[in-house]
Amino acid sequence: MTDIPLARPERHVPVWAQGLIGQMLALLIALAGGAVIIWLVGESPLHVYEVLLRGALGSAENVAGSLLQATPIIVCGVAACVALRGGLFNIGVEGQLYVGGFAAAWVGFTLNLPAGLHVVVGLGAGMLAGALWIILPAIMRARFNANEVVSTILMNYVAVLLTSYLTIAVFKRPGGWSETAPIAQTAYLPQLMDGSRVNLGLIIGLALALGLYLFLRYTGAGYAVSTMGSNPKFAAYGGVRVKRNIVAVLLTSGAIGGLAGGIETLGVHRRFMEGFAPGFGFDGVIAALLANGNPLGVVVAALFFGALRKGSLLMEVETGASREIITVIQALIILCVSAQILIRRRGGISGEKRWKF
Amino acid sequence: MEILTQVFTISLIAAILRTTAPILLVALGGAFTTKAGIFNIGLEGQMLMGAFFGVLGSMWTGSALGGLVFGVTASVLMAVIFSVFVVTLRANEVVVGLALNIMAGGLTISLTKAIFGVRGSIVNPAIVGMPRIHVPLIHDIRPLGQILSGYTPLVYTAFALVFLVWVILFRTRLGLYIRVTGEKPEAAQSLGIRTARMQHIASLICGVLAGAAGVHLSLGYIVMFAENMSSGRGFMAVAVLIFSGGDPVKVLLGCLLFGFADAASLRLQTMGVSSYLVLMVPFVVSVSALFLLSWRQRPKIIRETLQHLTAPVVAKGQGS
Repeated sequence: MTDIPLARPERHVPVWAQGLIGQMLALLIALAGGAVIIWLVGESPLHVYEVLLRGALGSAENVAGSLLQATPIIVCGVAACVALRGGLFNIGVEGQLYVGGFAAAWVGFTLNLPAGLHVVVGLGAGMLAGALWIILPAIMRARFNANEVVSTILMNYVAVLLTSYLTIAVFKRPGGWSETAPIAQTAYLPQLMDGSRVNLGLIIGLALALGLYLFLRYTGAGYAVSTMGSNPKFAAYGGVRVKRNIVAVLLTSGAIGGLAGGIETLGVHRRFMEGFAPGFGFDGVIAALLANGNPLGVVVAALFFGALRKGSLLMEVETGASREIITVIQALIILCVSAQILIRRRGGISGEKRWKF
Repeated sequence: MEILTQVFTISLIAAILRTTAPILLVALGGAFTTKAGIFNIGLEGQMLMGAFFGVLGSMWTGSALGGLVFGVTASVLMAVIFSVFVVTLRANEVVVGLALNIMAGGLTISLTKAIFGVRGSIVNPAIVGMPRIHVPLIHDIRPLGQILSGYTPLVYTAFALVFLVWVILFRTRLGLYIRVTGEKPEAAQSLGIRTARMQHIASLICGVLAGAAGVHLSLGYIVMFAENMSSGRGFMAVAVLIFSGGDPVKVLLGCLLFGFADAASLRLQTMGVSSYLVLMVPFVVSVSALFLLSWRQRPKIIRETLQHLTAPVVAKGQGS
C-alpha cells in the first residue's frame, strides 16, 4: 500500500470527478428521502427497493424492458440538454414528443412509401412537428424575451389535448378505443432483438448524445452555444449572434423532442394512442438537469430513470406502493443536485439566477 | 327570448366569478414572490398539495375549516422548501419549482393509493365541502342575487384580497421592503433591509394563498380530489404574473380573462364541441396573452437593454 497513494488530496480531484461525486451523493440522499416516503405510505423501504431492482435488472427480459423505457428518455434528455447548454429551458419536450409522435404515426398510416424511406419520412415528420411546436415560443423568446419556461409548459397541455382530439375525433380506428389505425409495415422502426420491442431508437439516442457531446466540445458553433448558455453577455461581445442562436437552439431541441415521439410510435406502439408516453418528456428534462447538461451524463441518467420506470411496474404488482413513488424520488434527486451544484460553485449552467421580470 | 338571453349572460357572469376565484387566489399569492424578485414556477405543485390535503383534513376533522387549515399547512410547507432552496441555498428557481411540482404530483397520487387504496380520484361522502354563503337582502333580488350571492367564502375572499394585497404591497412598510428587494436588491441591502428574509416572507404568504386556491378547487369548486386536479392553473397564474408584473389590479384583469375562457369553454362543451378542444381554450388564451403582451412591451425591453449596455458590465469569472 505504499507504492501508489490511492486517495489523492481533494484539490487534485478533477472537476468532472468532483461533479460525479456530488451527483452520487445527491442520489444517495434522494434514495434515503425516498425511503422515508415509502415508509410513510406503509411499505418497507428495503423490500420496495429490492423489488425495484429486481424488476429493472432481475432478468434479461427485464433489462431489455429497462432499455425500452430508457430509449425515449435518452432522446428527450438530449433535446432538453441542447436547450440547457444554450442557457434555455425547454420544458415543452413532453408536448413536442406528443405532436412528433402523432405526425410520425400519421405518415405511417396515410402515406404509401417503400420500406426504409417510409421510416425516414415518418421520423422527419416527427422532427418537423416538434420544431414547429416550439417555433413561436422560440421566436418570442429571442425577439421579445417572452419567458420560454411558461410558454413551453402551456404548449404541453395544448399538445396533449390536440393529439387526443385528432386521435379520437378525426383518426380513430373503427372499433378501436382512443387509438389511430396501425401504421403500415413499411414504416416500422427495426427492432434490435427478438422477443423485445427495443428498437433502433436506442442507437439513434446514443448517437445523438455522442454527436451533441462532440459538437459542443470540438466545434466553433458548439462553443458559441455553450458560451451563450454560461455567459450570454460575453457571447454577444465575442460576436455570437445570440438571438439567432436562441431560435436555432430551441428549434433543434424541439425537433429532437419530436423525434423521440416518432421513435415511440414507429418503434414501439406502431400507432398513435392517447397518453402513449406519459411523462417521458419530463423525465428527459430531469435527466438533463441531473447530468448538469453533459450529453453523455444524460445517457447514464436516462438509463437509470428507464430502469426505475421498468422496476416500478413490478413494484406496483408486488407491493402496495404506487409507481408514482419513483417520480417523488426523481424530484428529490433534482432538489439535492440543484442545492449541491450551488454549494459547490455558485453560477453555472443551471445555477445562474437569470430569471427576473 | 329576452329573458333567456338575460339568464344566459347572468349565469355566465356567475360562472366567470366562480372559475376566476382559484386562479386569482394563486396569482395574488404569486404577486408577492414576483414583487420580491422570485420567479415562482412551483405554484402548481403548492396548489395541488393544498387540494389534496384540504380533502384529507376535511375528512379527518369533519369540517371544511379543518380542510382549509390542512391544505394551507401543506402548501406552506412546500413554500418553505422552495424558499430555503431558492433563497438560502441559492438554487435555480425553475429547477426547484419544477422538481416540487413533479414531487407534488407523485406524492398526492402515492398517498391517495396508500390511504384510500384507489387510483385517480377521491370521491367520498365524508368530505365536507365549503358552505355557500347567502348574502342577506341581496340574495332575493333576482339578477343581483344570482351574481353576488351563493358562493363559497373563498370566492369572496379572493376578490377582497385584490384590494388587501394592493394595500399591503403599496401602502405598508412590508410591501415597500418586498418591492425594493425585488427591484433593486443591492439598494435594499445597502439600506439595511434583509432581502433574504423579505423573500422568505413573500414565499410564505404565497404558500398560504396557493394552498387556499387548492382547497377551493377540492372543497369549493367541486367536492372531490382528482390526480393533477390543478390542471395547469398554477402555470396560467405564472403567465398572468409575467405580464402583470405582480400588480394586483392587473392580476385581477388577467385572471378574469382566464375565468372567462374557462367559463366560456364549459359553455361550449354543453353546446356539443369536443371536450378536448374546449379544454385547450384556457391554455391557448394564456399562451397567446403571454406572447401578445411581451410583444407589446418591447419598447420597455429595448429601454432596459440600453440601460444594461450603458451600465458597467460585471464580469463573471466562472464560466464552465
